[in-house]
Amino acid sequence: MDRIDSLPTDNICGQRVRPGKPLPFGVSHVPGGLNFSVYTSAGEQCTLVLFRQGAAEPFAELPFPGHYRIGDVFCMVVFGLDFEDLEYGFRIDGPFNPDKGDRFDASKILMDPHARLIAGRDRWGEDPDWQRIYPYRARVSLDDFDWQGERPLEIPMQDLIIYEAHVRAMTQSPSSQTAHPGTYAGLVEKIPYLKDLGINAIELMPIFEFDEFENSRNHPDTGERLYNFWGYSTVGFFAPKAGYAATGKSGMQVDEFKQLVKSFHKAGIEVILDVVFNHTAEGNEHGPTLCFKGLDNKTYYMLTPEGYYFNFSGTGNTLNCNNPIVRSLVLDCLRYWAAEYHIDGFRFDLATILGRDPWGAPLPNPPLLESLAFDPILSSCKLIAEAWDAGGLYQVGTFPAFGRWAEWNGLYRDSVRRYLKGDPGLVGQIAQRVLGSPDLYRMSGRAPATSVNFITCHDGFTLADLVSYNSKHNEANGEGNRDGGDDNHSWNCGAEGWSDDPGIQQLRRRQMLNAFAILLTSRGTPMLLMGDEFGRSQHGNNNAYCIDSPLTWVDWNLLKTNAELQAVVKALIAFRHQHPALRVNRFDGPSSSLLPCSSFHGSTPWQPDWSGESRQLAWMMSCDHRSPNGEPAVDIVYVATNMAHHASWFALPTAPDGYAWHICFNTGDNQHPILVDQPKVDSGLLVGERSVVILQAKPRP
Amino acid sequence: MQISKSTIHNWLVVHIEGQVDSKTSAQLNDYLAAELANDANIALDLRQVPFMSSAGLRTLLLLYRRVEALGFALALVGLAEDIADTMKVTGFYDFFIVLPDLDALQTAAGTT
Repeated sequence: MDRIDSLPTDNICGQRVRPGKPLPFGVSHVPGGLNFSVYTSAGEQCTLVLFRQGAAEPFAELPFPGHYRIGDVFCMVVFGLDFEDLEYGFRIDGPFNPDKGDRFDASKILMDPHARLIAGRDRWGEDPDWQRIYPYRARVSLDDFDWQGERPLEIPMQDLIIYEAHVRAMTQSPSSQTAHPGTYAGLVEKIPYLKDLGINAIELMPIFEFDEFENSRNHPDTGERLYNFWGYSTVGFFAPKAGYAATGKSGMQVDEFKQLVKSFHKAGIEVILDVVFNHTAEGNEHGPTLCFKGLDNKTYYMLTPEGYYFNFSGTGNTLNCNNPIVRSLVLDCLRYWAAEYHIDGFRFDLATILGRDPWGAPLPNPPLLESLAFDPILSSCKLIAEAWDAGGLYQVGTFPAFGRWAEWNGLYRDSVRRYLKGDPGLVGQIAQRVLGSPDLYRMSGRAPATSVNFITCHDGFTLADLVSYNSKHNEANGEGNRDGGDDNHSWNCGAEGWSDDPGIQQLRRRQMLNAFAILLTSRGTPMLLMGDEFGRSQHGNNNAYCIDSPLTWVDWNLLKTNAELQAVVKALIAFRHQHPALRVNRFDGPSSSLLPCSSFHGSTPWQPDWSGESRQLAWMMSCDHRSPNGEPAVDIVYVATNMAHHASWFALPTAPDGYAWHICFNTGDNQHPILVDQPKVDSGLLVGERSVVILQAKPRP
Repeated sequence: MQISKSTIHNWLVVHIEGQVDSKTSAQLNDYLAAELANDANIALDLRQVPFMSSAGLRTLLLLYRRVEALGFALALVGLAEDIADTMKVTGFYDFFIVLPDLDALQTAAGTT
């Protein structure tokens, strides 16, 4: 039977309408029509503006009558609209007093902040009509995807191996040989490769709708077009980027991205999104009015007493995350992605901003972070903080975690990089890092998997560049090499940039293997950067945020050139999956039946050299577990690292009764870094200069 | 949009001409709903369909679910390359028996 609210009650500008419902915000399907709902606390008049798809001018503008407002929410049902041929926005009239924080402007058409489908940037890099009165255009999404029972994977955090990737960079190069380069569909074509590599989570750099043309400019010398390539500037929090979809031109990016998640899940790989809630694409007082500025500027943004924008993000404005309205928006958004897209986790860009009060001061118990930590819909989602911001708040180790949050561990990156290049005084640091950084996380009752361990990420050098450049080479960014960090802790192994010296090439390759060997035998949650496993380079550019060219695109030819490197990384990943001792998720975990949960060693077993000049450290990790056939077993792994420029003898700890040491990896062996036969080792071994050796103790036959 | 029907190799074949989008999908939906009563495997002849929008693809999937619930098969015949590609990357494709032409119905008949 038909509902009695399925009939219109009024006629506005030729459209049949009735008063709507305030929830859910945004647009939703109701019998016979669409319900529109938008919030503004100080806006006095609101008008719903309706366009045909792609039209320059609206076909109808419907002022909300006074009785269509409930509290601060304007809501209306419009009947008989063709949802597929519809784009909608709002005009809000109210005071324009920037010094008091109000920037209402009824001449602007504002995008629905809850828009789930956004048109206007449908194909990557295609110049839009810059004169359009409504550039980013909200559309109606059905959200009726057929998941066929597919669910988020809920892999325990400590078992994850994360692969950080950029959707476009992964397959835009012709060398990717994908049918849909640079898109979600193209990335799906790479799933067999990623599954074979052995990673079980992919962390996607921003895929919320952003504008690649934001701050777009031409390089002053080369004339090359520069973009917002990375996408850390959100236009719409609820919409996947259309320009990343092979089907963006037909508005099917929602289905394409859901198909991506479904496909990754089928392969046993989680999907984690890098989300940017610290600021938006509206910039500061000189930036465009697209949405929040015109809806409720002083609610959504942190403003100085004079009405200027606080800039803790380094990008012009700062989202006012601990305002209750904004908090709800963020929560709505993450719930939507978790429930509707089956997203497995979120990595929060510049997350400390989410813990600042409306005036920028850090809060002891930030309500937003607490809400996210205890939310029922997000309860099995990974929450990962980038625990610093551009305003100088650095909270690695002290981020308000509520027992739930993990962190990008910047100290892990810095300690391991410095150890790798042979800096003195690092062995004590490394001991902390490989245990999951108990110095940072034990006191607050957190666990090793809190620590997302990484040596490289999108921000900074790739691994191949880390061992090939002493300094950044960011000329391609058009800022005179002034942008990007200078604290890279990198070492070029003897020549800056490409070198045909076989000795340098060999050392670089070994250093890359050393990095992977340490990363994949550390407790915590390891993260790799796309392409590092086969030596991807950005020619020394450590901040390629604006480059959309072969410089940033993954060159899949390197997979052939550096096949041996990739084979070792794959074997190290498999080794980590096979050895639960490397994934124990407790500091001071229980001893195994035979050995302590973790212990450190040097040239002499049980006696590491902690002195400042020491560049040798070995760690042994052990736990009880069940073998694949269900038998009780003891896992024992020993890792010896020598970052000195000379070889060093490591006497091995005595293997427990009935066990013998077997060598599995030796990065110092240029020909055979993987020891397929895993030969037995008795009392000790010589670890070559700048090398890592990995052994396991196996029961004697 | 023009819709007609015929019977070929024990399939009820629904011939469609024109694009299927939110403006025409209701018409197609209503037509197909009536044909479900025929208790037969259904083939949609899409050789004369140049474009299907998101709403059009949803109509196909809904029909698939209904036919499946009745225990019959649904085949798509002569899909345009663009439409097939869109269906593949958005996940619609895998639900259907897809055939190049009407002749293929003869051998596909055994798949039910």
